[in-house]
Amino acid sequence: MALASLPHLSGMKKNDSRFNPYDDNGGSIVAIGGDNYLLIASDTRLSTGYSIYTRNQSKLFQVSNKSIVGCSGCWCDTLTLTRLINARMQMYLHEHNKEMSTPALAQMISTMLYYKRFFPYYVSVVMGGLEPDGSGWVYSYDPIGNLERSKFHAGGSSGALLQPLLDNQVGLKNIQNIVEESITLEKASRIVQDVFISAAERDIYTGDEIHIMCITADGIKEEKVDLRKD
Amino acid sequence: MSILAYNGGAVVAMKGKNCVAIASDKRFGIQAQTLSVNFEKVFEMSPHLYVGLPGLATDTQTVHQRLKFRQNLYELKEGRRMSPKAFSAMLSNLLYERRFGPYFVEPIVAGLDQNYEPYINAMDLIGCITQPDDFVVSGTCASQLYGMCEVLWEPNLEPDDLFETISQALVNACDRDAVSGWGAVVHIIEKDKVTIKHVKTRMD
Amino acid sequence: MALVELCNLESQVNVYPFQKQNELAEPEANMNLVNPMQLALPPLGNPISFMKQFSHTESGKPIKFDFQHGTTTLGFVFQGGVILAVDSRATGGQYIGSQYMKKIVEINDYMLGTLAGGAADCVYWDRVLSKQCRIYELRNRERISVAAASKLMANMIYSYKGMGLSMGMMLAGYDKRGPSLYYIDSEGTRTQGKVFSVGSGSVYAYGVLDSGYKWDLTDEEAYELGRSSIMYATHRDAYSGGIIRVYHIKADGWKHISNQDASDLFYDRKVQNI
Repeated sequence: MALASLPHLSGMKKNDSRFNPYDDNGGSIVAIGGDNYLLIASDTRLSTGYSIYTRNQSKLFQVSNKSIVGCSGCWCDTLTLTRLINARMQMYLHEHNKEMSTPALAQMISTMLYYKRFFPYYVSVVMGGLEPDGSGWVYSYDPIGNLERSKFHAGGSSGALLQPLLDNQVGLKNIQNIVEESITLEKASRIVQDVFISAAERDIYTGDEIHIMCITADGIKEEKVDLRKD
Repeated sequence: MSILAYNGGAVVAMKGKNCVAIASDKRFGIQAQTLSVNFEKVFEMSPHLYVGLPGLATDTQTVHQRLKFRQNLYELKEGRRMSPKAFSAMLSNLLYERRFGPYFVEPIVAGLDQNYEPYINAMDLIGCITQPDDFVVSGTCASQLYGMCEVLWEPNLEPDDLFETISQALVNACDRDAVSGWGAVVHIIEKDKVTIKHVKTRMD
Repeated sequence: MALVELCNLESQVNVYPFQKQNELAEPEANMNLVNPMQLALPPLGNPISFMKQFSHTESGKPIKFDFQHGTTTLGFVFQGGVILAVDSRATGGQYIGSQYMKKIVEINDYMLGTLAGGAADCVYWDRVLSKQCRIYELRNRERISVAAASKLMANMIYSYKGMGLSMGMMLAGYDKRGPSLYYIDSEGTRTQGKVFSVGSGSVYAYGVLDSGYKWDLTDEEAYELGRSSIMYATHRDAYSGGIIRVYHIKADGWKHISNQDASDLFYDRKVQNI
């Protein structure tokens, strides 16, 4: 049924402002994968336009013991998508008697995003997890499910601010005469905190607190670090 | 696509200890097509005064020429060099004259003032000046530059360290922007010398 | 009821009339996990005009779907088989989302697809195609021909024509009829040819490719031609760059030849006149 044929909407002219399913609620996600860990962090500010809904909403969702999904953008789409992912994870668990592996989850998210190709989720998804060999990898997506596997990624409202920095500090781009080596968890954690502090300086949609989650063979550790709140 | 991003390009300036640095990329293109890789967007206006004009290339050139014209008149009339502050006021004025049909450039001014104190500022396309005490960025990869500068910059950098900082900031920012890069040039301005260095960057 | 499933009776008779009706009333979320052709349709009308209404949030912030786009790809047939060469940059607007994208998809050991245009569109449909090719192989006990595979792809895409898919792909492979190369796009075009280049950098790539192409190229010359065509394209085109990947398809299947950084290659060649 077309919207205009509903009685209360039938008098509406074409240019009237009307219900809009999309909003941009901001938020940033950074993830770094190492030889034996995966670090993923998000800020905890949820906002619309110039107002803040809450200073205390993490954008990280643990979907298995080995993987965490970070999702920012339109919050209602984030909720829907992560709930569908969780449902699928449970179905898989009951059907196969084991948790879905990180690479399988990565492909499933891509397919689920593409399902909505013609009415997409307005989200930036960064998923991180440990793979069967114990190494940490990061999977990042565009809104319709184009998937990339990498060692580090910054997504969300501060993605453009932070990505070149990660290229430089983690990917060691444009640095001459240096031996390439994988970075330690301590260094990764320090870089993540540094980049969020600078994102909070320049991006009004990022701030309040950093929620850091770290997966290692021993399990998942969480930590919160303060950011500027203005 | 915004008209400010039609030709591509980026400029950044930073304060150091008794010195300032200003750097730009060298691309001149029309949307996706790269036409030239030696189009510098930073101009020397006097020995200690530089201006960067990223934006629409035709306006980069026009604004530069009109600035030079007005600056020459000033210096002839007054018989002395223009201070960065006076120069910025003049530039701001020139831009505001076209309030309703603006030049599509977002200028950056960098230099040393009469007492050889570092001076930098940035303007929007109708001449609103901001004057921070760390760094200013402008152009198509401004957000990438903000991210880089915010982490790399620190107070009281010596000229050599300032050069390293500004070139890392510019090069890495340009590598995440499709329409800037293709070479970069850095000017380090000190009391008794100005060093110009061309930086090798990705050419794709 | 277990017997019904075992004998696969459902496909022949509707043994659950009421249940089936309910399922029709409310389609399962993410149906495409079951049937890849079945994507969600927007609640009202044509997807393109439907999405146009939502350009801003209620607070006036622009909503921009910066889908990742891929760019310069080329392929040509010559005496030694088929060469494919691609760049690896993915851009969302002017922002470079990735410098390491894989724009050559391995469909099976004898067939490769390249992608240009919407990255997600190309990767998704290539994956569907590769599944269908495998099913064909199992059913018919022989490999699918490139002609047939390209037609499968073109038909799938054609059923979504006008809905905003954006893709320009080449399908290259070696089958009973020898080496072949097809171009397929989201408008429904499917055409066979010897030399193709697709994407925003294709105009530059064609310039180099056409001037150096001949049927009798040796393998090494052919790799070099593909590589340098892409390299010059990445230099002139803002939306191409990253790594240059070269593949070669011969009678015994495809082979990966090289991955080289486009910028390093540019400096190696000492392109001094530019």
